[in-house]
Amino acid sequence: MARRFRLLALVLVPLVWVLVSGDGRLAGQARDSGGEWTTFGGDLASRRYRPFDQINRDTFGDLEIAWRFKTDAFGPRPEFTFQATPLMVGGVVYTTAGTRRDVVALDAATGELLWMHREDEGARGEGAPRRLSGRGVAYWTDGREARIVYVTPGYRMIALDARTGRPVPGFGSGGAVDLKLEMDQPIDLETGEVGLHSALVIAHDVIVVGAAHLPGGAPKSRVNVKGHVRGYDARTGKRLWIFHTIPQAGQPGDDTWERDAASYTGNAGVWTQMTIDEDLGLVYLPVELPTGDYYGGHRPGAGLYGESLVALDLKTGQRKWHFQLVHHGLWDHDVPCAPILADITVDGRLIKAIAQPSKQGWVYVFDRATGEAVWPIEERPVPAGDVPGEWYAPTQPFVTKPPPFELQGVTIDDLIDFTPELRAEAVKLVSRYTLGPLFTPPPVSRWEGPLGLLMVPSSTGGANWPGGALDPETNVLYLYSFRNPSVIGLVHDPSRSDMTYVQGLAADPNAPKPAPGAAAGGAEGGGVALTVQGLPILKPPYGTMTAIDLDRGEIVWQVPHGETPDAVRNHPALKGLDIPRTGRTNGRIGTLVTGSLVIAGEPGFFTMPNGLRGAMLRAYDKATGKEVGAVPMPAPQSGSPMTYMLDGRQYLVVAVSGAGYSGELLAFRAPLPPAAR
Amino acid sequence: MPTRAAVLAAWLVSLAPAPAGQMRSVWDGVYTVEQAQRGAALYQTHCASCHGVALTGAEAAPALTGFEFRSNWSGLPLGELFERLRSSMPPEDPGQVSARDKVDVLAHLLAVGGLPAGPAELARDALAGIRFEATKP
Ligand code: HEC
Repeated sequence: MARRFRLLALVLVPLVWVLVSGDGRLAGQARDSGGEWTTFGGDLASRRYRPFDQINRDTFGDLEIAWRFKTDAFGPRPEFTFQATPLMVGGVVYTTAGTRRDVVALDAATGELLWMHREDEGARGEGAPRRLSGRGVAYWTDGREARIVYVTPGYRMIALDARTGRPVPGFGSGGAVDLKLEMDQPIDLETGEVGLHSALVIAHDVIVVGAAHLPGGAPKSRVNVKGHVRGYDARTGKRLWIFHTIPQAGQPGDDTWERDAASYTGNAGVWTQMTIDEDLGLVYLPVELPTGDYYGGHRPGAGLYGESLVALDLKTGQRKWHFQLVHHGLWDHDVPCAPILADITVDGRLIKAIAQPSKQGWVYVFDRATGEAVWPIEERPVPAGDVPGEWYAPTQPFVTKPPPFELQGVTIDDLIDFTPELRAEAVKLVSRYTLGPLFTPPPVSRWEGPLGLLMVPSSTGGANWPGGALDPETNVLYLYSFRNPSVIGLVHDPSRSDMTYVQGLAADPNAPKPAPGAAAGGAEGGGVALTVQGLPILKPPYGTMTAIDLDRGEIVWQVPHGETPDAVRNHPALKGLDIPRTGRTNGRIGTLVTGSLVIAGEPGFFTMPNGLRGAMLRAYDKATGKEVGAVPMPAPQSGSPMTYMLDGRQYLVVAVSGAGYSGELLAFRAPLPPAAR
Repeated sequence: MPTRAAVLAAWLVSLAPAPAGQMRSVWDGVYTVEQAQRGAALYQTHCASCHGVALTGAEAAPALTGFEFRSNWSGLPLGELFERLRSSMPPEDPGQVSARDKVDVLAHLLAVGGLPAGPAELARDALAGIRFEATKP
């Protein structure tokens, strides 16, 4: 029995894989023999999909721990925000780990540490805009050599021998490339504000490198490092090309910048994951907005390629097409995650498509060869605000299909309504804020009101960096999103910034003066916690899993993801009420789709059915959204789940961490059938 | 015979909350107003740039008040929350603020969270015996 089980799995799995992607359409540089997971997104199409089905509705509830790996020792102190998706190649799991972002190689069957690599970057690493372990590593091979490539907190790209973990001498200088050089602008090597904590992508021997900065609600200056994107030779570490995400004078797109703003404005990096179509030879860049998340007065104009999806020739960096999702952004609607490639059939027509989830609640779908929208995206007039010096785009693009997966904008109807008393309190609370539809501009904050815009989705989404997953058998896209407002107001505060306005909230003029040395005026994300008797201000569902059919442009199902928090379940004002599962008001949750399941962990702690504090890893029937299994974990999912086959058994690995629980990889597998034990 | 799921859960989750009856909770007036005021000044200098003057967080850093923060720390001894900010905050140099001062910062977090002040100051050696609770027990 045991032998038959193993044999079956061994034979079936590669076969299924060949059927699905055997034509190589979407296969990656790190071409995968079937059971592996060779790049952050599962494949270069960023589908986070494997057809395996040993972990299924019957076995999910019985998953056992194959191994676990704690990351506390990989840095001077433990990490509580472990966001990586590990890779598995040739029986070895590779990931970044710990507060120093070390790289580790683990035995994929047991979790045993095979090697580790550490870069002590001193002040350059400690002062980096993107610290901690990051989202993982990239794998490259030419069939002879195999390398692990990653970016340090201090923005250096390191290539390691995948077998030994030793730096590759022929890559850059002694295995390292200083990414603060050759960026077509002067950057201070120690303090220059640029880094990266996403995982690299590699195809056709080209490594594509993005750029990330400090969060931009209240930048110190309108002048900042530009987030240009570059291609590097995977063998030598030599720079092959650079794409100016803020065009230089005379380049296409420079006319979308007025008054010389392109010369000093920075940001517009790609801080998240990228996607590659190897056959078309294109890499797709989800670009963030330029300097100033909520005030654009120093960057008049539509501001290409801010908040655009840009397709580049992978070999040359030449732009093939682009689409700006938000013109002259004022809402921090960075394009937040990898777009997903899907070969869809719309009204009988086969389209090589690309689907871009967004913070603002839409999935934008294009023909990935041409950039043409699959369903109309309409330019519609939007209201201008009255912030002095601001430049308002007269129109914004509205997606007509598929429908939004998250609430867009907020009205009184969306406020908490468990009881009339709670609703009344909420109405009173929001009376000092601006409410409105998507693209309502943020106001100057005034104590008497409005304090700020109640922005839904918030500045962190909607969707965020984990993005979604795609089932290529059905072209259904799965993604998590959450619903919780940000308060966005603007203040004039020369002590903090040379920008005329930065994010902040007006202070009570009658309140006692803040202590000396305290931050004056408002602050990044300042405001009052928007809760009503300790409860979220919006009505549930707070967190949602959505399935979208990309052939039809329709939502197939939508379920709350995440158990109702204790603070709701035990709330005295809600005694006796029957409240369906709410999900959580937070979380960046990656999904995995397999032969029959959609799998994702919960974003927050609660008291689990077994009485312990933790979070569940949940599985849904991918066709219906019905939950078919749940496993307790000691902490919420903080990375995104991945899966692999090894010696005939399916493994499921996920990074967890959170309040009071430091980073850990958990590897699950289905128990062997009884006769095999 | 415990079920497989129960065994797994017990093995995975070592941080079981202590029995509620044996501990005080953050609702019992565990800090003083004056201490929280000292903490507020320290907070504004060392923490506000990322977590916001009003602790509401943003893209730069999570909120240190509000629904999700409370939910996530609920059930843990206050010592765990203290250990988190003692060992890792502010991220570029956790030693910048002394452990003693960080107890005051913690008092500020409690005050902003709407938890009642009391007659005695929060002391470091008492933190393990106080439970963080999202809702009043
Ligand atoms: C440079 C920005 C920055 C500063 C300054 C800073 N923090 Fe943080 N803080 C973060 C970030 C980013 C995280 C989440 C990532 C992590 O795990 O470090 C965090 C997480 C936390 C958490 C964990 C929250 C949770 O619910 O898990 C606490 C508590 C905290 N900070 C307290 C403080 C205190 C107190 C100070 C001042 C002494 C401070 N921080 C200063 C950026 C900052």
